Amino acid sequence: MAVFLQNLVNALQWGSFYALIALGYSMVYSILMLFNFAHGDIFMVGSYIGVGVSMALIALSAWGNVVLPNWLILVLTILFSMFLTSFVGMIVERVGYRPLRNAPRASAAITGLMIGIILETGNLALLGARRVSFPSLIATATYDLGGVFVTNKKIMIVLVSLLLALALHQFVRRTKWGMAIRAMAFDFSVVPLMGVPLNRMIALTFALGSALAAAAGILFGVAYPVLDPYMGILFGWKAFVAAILGGRGSIMGATLAGFLLGFTEIFVAMIFPSTLRDLIAYSIILLILTVRPHGFFGEPYSARLRL
Amino acid sequence: MAGNLWKPYSRVPLLGWFFGALVAVTLERLAGAPLAQFLGLQKIPVLFGFSDMLKTPVSIPNVLLYLLAVYVVPAAAVTRLGASPANGIAAALYRFPMAVTAAVHLALLYAVLHVWAGASDYRVLVLRLTLIAVMLTLSLNVINGYMGEFSCSHPGFMALGAYCASVLTIGLFVDAELFGAASLSPALGRFLFPVALVLGGLLASFGGLFVAIPSFRTRGDYLAIISLAFLFIVKSLIENLEFVRGPRGLSGQPDWADLPTVFLWTVLCVWSVNNFVRSTIGKALNAVRDNEMAADAMTVDTRKTKIAAFLFGAFWAGVAGGLFAHVMRYVNPGNFGIQNLAEVLAMVYFGGLNSVYGSIVGAVSISLLGEALRPLEIFKWIIIPLLLILVMIFRPTGLIAFRDLDVASLLKPKANPGEGG
Amino acid sequence: MRTRSWVAVCVLAGGLAFFLSGTVQAQTIKIGINAELTGDIPKVGEGTKYAAQMWLDDVRAAGGLAVKGKKYPVELILEDNESKAESAVKAATKMITEDGVLVMVGPQASKQAVPAGGIANNYKTPMITPWSTNPDSTKNRPYVFRACFLDPFQGPVLANFITSEFKFKKAAVLYDVASDYPKGLAEFFKKAWEGLHGPGSVVAYESFTTKDTDFSSQLTKIKNSGAQVLFTPQYYNEVALIVQQAHQLGWKNPIVGSDSWGSAETVKLCGKDCYGLFFSTHYAAAGATGATKAFIDRYKAKYGYVPDDVAALTWDAMHLVQKAIQDTGGLTGDLKKDRENVRAAMGRIKKFKGITGEMTFSGGGDPSKCAVIVRISDKGQFEFYKSACP
Repeated sequence: MAVFLQNLVNALQWGSFYALIALGYSMVYSILMLFNFAHGDIFMVGSYIGVGVSMALIALSAWGNVVLPNWLILVLTILFSMFLTSFVGMIVERVGYRPLRNAPRASAAITGLMIGIILETGNLALLGARRVSFPSLIATATYDLGGVFVTNKKIMIVLVSLLLALALHQFVRRTKWGMAIRAMAFDFSVVPLMGVPLNRMIALTFALGSALAAAAGILFGVAYPVLDPYMGILFGWKAFVAAILGGRGSIMGATLAGFLLGFTEIFVAMIFPSTLRDLIAYSIILLILTVRPHGFFGEPYSARLRL
Repeated sequence: MAGNLWKPYSRVPLLGWFFGALVAVTLERLAGAPLAQFLGLQKIPVLFGFSDMLKTPVSIPNVLLYLLAVYVVPAAAVTRLGASPANGIAAALYRFPMAVTAAVHLALLYAVLHVWAGASDYRVLVLRLTLIAVMLTLSLNVINGYMGEFSCSHPGFMALGAYCASVLTIGLFVDAELFGAASLSPALGRFLFPVALVLGGLLASFGGLFVAIPSFRTRGDYLAIISLAFLFIVKSLIENLEFVRGPRGLSGQPDWADLPTVFLWTVLCVWSVNNFVRSTIGKALNAVRDNEMAADAMTVDTRKTKIAAFLFGAFWAGVAGGLFAHVMRYVNPGNFGIQNLAEVLAMVYFGGLNSVYGSIVGAVSISLLGEALRPLEIFKWIIIPLLLILVMIFRPTGLIAFRDLDVASLLKPKANPGEGG
Repeated sequence: MRTRSWVAVCVLAGGLAFFLSGTVQAQTIKIGINAELTGDIPKVGEGTKYAAQMWLDDVRAAGGLAVKGKKYPVELILEDNESKAESAVKAATKMITEDGVLVMVGPQASKQAVPAGGIANNYKTPMITPWSTNPDSTKNRPYVFRACFLDPFQGPVLANFITSEFKFKKAAVLYDVASDYPKGLAEFFKKAWEGLHGPGSVVAYESFTTKDTDFSSQLTKIKNSGAQVLFTPQYYNEVALIVQQAHQLGWKNPIVGSDSWGSAETVKLCGKDCYGLFFSTHYAAAGATGATKAFIDRYKAKYGYVPDDVAALTWDAMHLVQKAIQDTGGLTGDLKKDRENVRAAMGRIKKFKGITGEMTFSGGGDPSKCAVIVRISDKGQFEFYKSACP
C-alpha cells in the first residue's frame, strides 16, 4: 500500500508537467485547429528565462539590501517569466503561423518544428553546451508519512499546476476574452465578423499557452534542476500525445490526460520491468485510441483536414 | 537577354541534357585535377565547392571559375550544339517500347552519376545516402502528401526494415559471434541481398498494419499520435530485444549496398511509387484526402485504400532502411528517433506534397544543403530551418507540389527533327 | 566589352589566390576531429573541440609539431557529426578522402564511433576515439584505437570495491536502457556482483530511457527491494537528478557510480546530496597533481569551467596521436605510408603517462589502464581514495 501511495505521489508530480504543457497545446488548438510544435521548445525557453529572472532577482536583492525571502523570489520569478515567455509565444505566432493562416495545416506544423530547431540551436549558440542548473530557491523538506515520502516541492508543484489549470478554466469561462476564444473555437469564420479582433485573440491564446509553458518550465527547474537546450523535444512530443488524448481543445481533457499520461508511465514502471516502460505505456495509449478514436472529451472527427 | 540565351535550350530533350552533363563530368575526370591545381585549389571542389567557399572566402572566384570551366560552359555548349542530334536520337528511341527508351535514359543518368561520383569516395557516399533519402521521402509522401495524413511513424518502419535485413544478411552470410557461423556462402549473398531487403520491407509493411487499422476509425491528429506511439513502441521494442543486441546496435553488415545497387532500388522505388499514385488507387488516395465521406459515397473503398497506402509506404521505408543499414554497416535504435522524423518531414514538405518531382527535389536539396553547409557548424541548424520557414511561407505546399511525373512526356523529343532544329 | 572586363577580373582574382595559396605549400599535418557539436550531446562535442584547440595552441606555440628534428605545421579539420551515425560516416569519409587527414580523433559516442570506425579501417586511416566504450568500435579493426577503458574492466572493479569496502550483499542497479554505455556497464556490474554473491544478489535491476528526468517509480522499487547499495552508471546530468530524487524518497544507503560521474558539473548540479559518494574514474580532478592539474587549471581559465572526462580523454588522445606521429621516425610525405606508420607507432605505445592515467597498447586498440576510486568530499571535491589496476 505504501508503495502504491508513494507512486501516486510521484505520478501526481510527473503528470502536472504534462498537464501544464498539454494545456498550451490545447489552447492554440481550440482556435487554430493546429498544434504548435514549437511548444516544447517554448517550455525550454521559459525555463531558461526563469533561470535568468531568478538570478537577476537574487542579484538585485543582494545589491539593493532589500532582503527578499526566497519564496517571494520564486513567486516573482514565475510571474515575470510567464509574462516574458508569453511574448516569445506571440513572436512565434507572428513569424511562423500568421503568414500561414490559410496554408495547409501540415505546413504550419513544419514551420513550428523548424522554429523549435532554431530555438534549440540558438540557445546552444548563445549559451554554449553547458547544462544550466536552476538556482535552488527553496530548501527541500522531506516528510515521512508512514513510509510515503513527500517533499514540500512536490506539494507545491501539484498545487500550483492545479491552480493554473483552474485559473485558465475560469478565464475562459468567465471573462469576455475567454468568451471570445470560445466563440472562435466554435466558429472561426463568423465570429470575426461580429467585431472580435481575430489576430489579437490568436496572439492571446499563444501568449496564454506560452505563459503556462513557462510556469511548467520553472516548476520543472525546481523539481529537476538540470536544464539543457534539447530538454523540450521529447517532453513536448509526449505532452502533444496527452493533449490529443484529452480531446482537442478541451481544457479539462488536456489536464486529465496529462495526469493520465504521467500515471501510465509511473505505474507501468512500477508493475512491469522498467525496461519495458515505453513499450507498454505507449501500447496502452495505442489501445485507448483504437477503442476511443477521439480521445476522452473530443467529438468524433468529421471536419476534414484543411489541405 | 536571359530569355534569348535560354530560348535554344527550351527545345533540348532530356537526352540532350544528359549528354551535356556526361561531357562535363567526363571532362572533370580528365582535366579537373590539373585545372583545380592551376586555380590554386588543393583538390577538385568536391560538392560544387560550397565548403571551400565557406571555409576560405578568398577562393570564391577560383571555385566559381572552376565550376564555370568544368560544368557550366562545356555542358551548355554540348547541350546547345547537340540539341538537334539529341532530338534525332530521342525521336528514334521514342519509337521503341517505353521500357527500352526509359532504360537508355536511366543508363545514361547512371553513367553521369557514376563518372561524377568516381572522382571521390565522399561523393559516392553522399550520393548513396541521398538516393536513400529520396526513397524515404517518396514513401512518406504517399501517406502524408497523397493521402493527407500526418504520419509520424516513418523512422519506425525504417528501423523494422533495417533490422530485418541486417539480421538476415549478418545471420546467414557473415561469420558473426552473435548468430554463430555463416550458413550460406557470401558469394551467394549478393544475389539474395534483394530478398533480404524485400523481407525487411514486408516486415515494415506488417508494422504499417498497426497504424493502418486504427486509421479506419480516425484520422488527422489522432492518427498522428497513434503513429507517434508506434514509433516509440518500435524503438523501445528493439532496445529490449537482446538478440539484436539492444542499444548496442548491430554491426558488420556486408558491404553490398554500393552505388549501382542503391541506384537500381531507387529507380524501382520511383517507378513503382509513380505508377501507384497514378493508378486508380492513387486517385482514390486523393479522394480520401479531399473528402473521406464523399469518397466513400462515390464507391471508393476507403479501408482498402488506406491499407494499401500504409502498406506501400511502409514497404519502401523498410527497403530504404535496409539499404541504409548496409551503407552504414551499423544500426542502432537511436538512429531512428524524433530527430530522424523531423528530417524526413522537412524533406517531404520542402520538396512539395503530392508530387514525385517534389520528393526528389526535397530529398536531394536538403541532403546536399546539409553537406554543403558543414563549415558553418552550429549555425547550419539555424540556416536550414530558416530556409524551410521561408519556403513554407511563400510556397505553403512546398517547392514543386501537385505535379505529376509523366515519363512519356519527359522523354519525348522536344522538336521535330524534320524542322532542322 | 563588359564581358571582357569580367574575364579579366576573374583571371586576376584567380591568379592572386593562386599566388596566395602557393606560398603556404609546406607539408602540413592534418588531424581530423569528428565531434558531436550539435544534436543530443552538444556538451561532449564542445569538450572535444576545446581540448583539441588547446592542444593545437600548444603545438602552434612550439612552432609546429617536431618530427625527427623537422617542424611541421598542424591543421585541425573540425567536422560536426550532429550526433547522427550517417553524419559521422559522411564527416569521416570527407576528412579522410577529401581533406587527407593523417589521423582522425573521434567520434566520441559509440553510436557514431562504431560506424565511423568501420570507415577509418576501410581507408586504412588510424582513428582514436577518446570516449567510446563499446567493444565493437575497435574489435577486428587494426586501425581503430580508444583512450578510455572498457566496461568489462570497470564493472568488476566496482563490484569488488563495494564488497570489500562496505561488506554489502545486496545491490540495486539503475541505468539508461537506451544508451549503450550505461547499459553495458550495468550488465558487467551485475555479472561481477552475482559472481561474488551468488545469483539473485542484484535485487533490483531498473532502467529508464534517455532524456527521462523522473526516476521516482524506479527508485521507489529499489528502495523497497532491500538493496544495501545503489549502482548507477549514468552521466553527470542524470546523476544529479537520481541522487536528489533518491534522497527525497528516503534512500539513505550509499550510491556508487562510474567514470561518467567524473565531471565537475556533477557536484555543481547535484549539490550537497552527492557529498560522500564514491565512483570509479580515470582521474580525480581535486587533489590532481602535475600535468592533470595543469590541464584542469588551464582549461578552466580559458573556457570558464572545469573540464569533464571527455575533454580530459580528448586531451590524452591528442597527445597519443602526437606521440605516435613523433615515434614514426619521420614523415615520408606519402599519406598512405604515413598513416600506416602512425598506426604501427600507436600500437607500440607503452606506459604513456596521460592525464587520465597510464596507458599501454598491447596488440589491439584498447589500452590497459588503471582506474581510481574517487570519493566526493564534504567540500564537494573529488578525492583520491583507492586505485585498481587490471
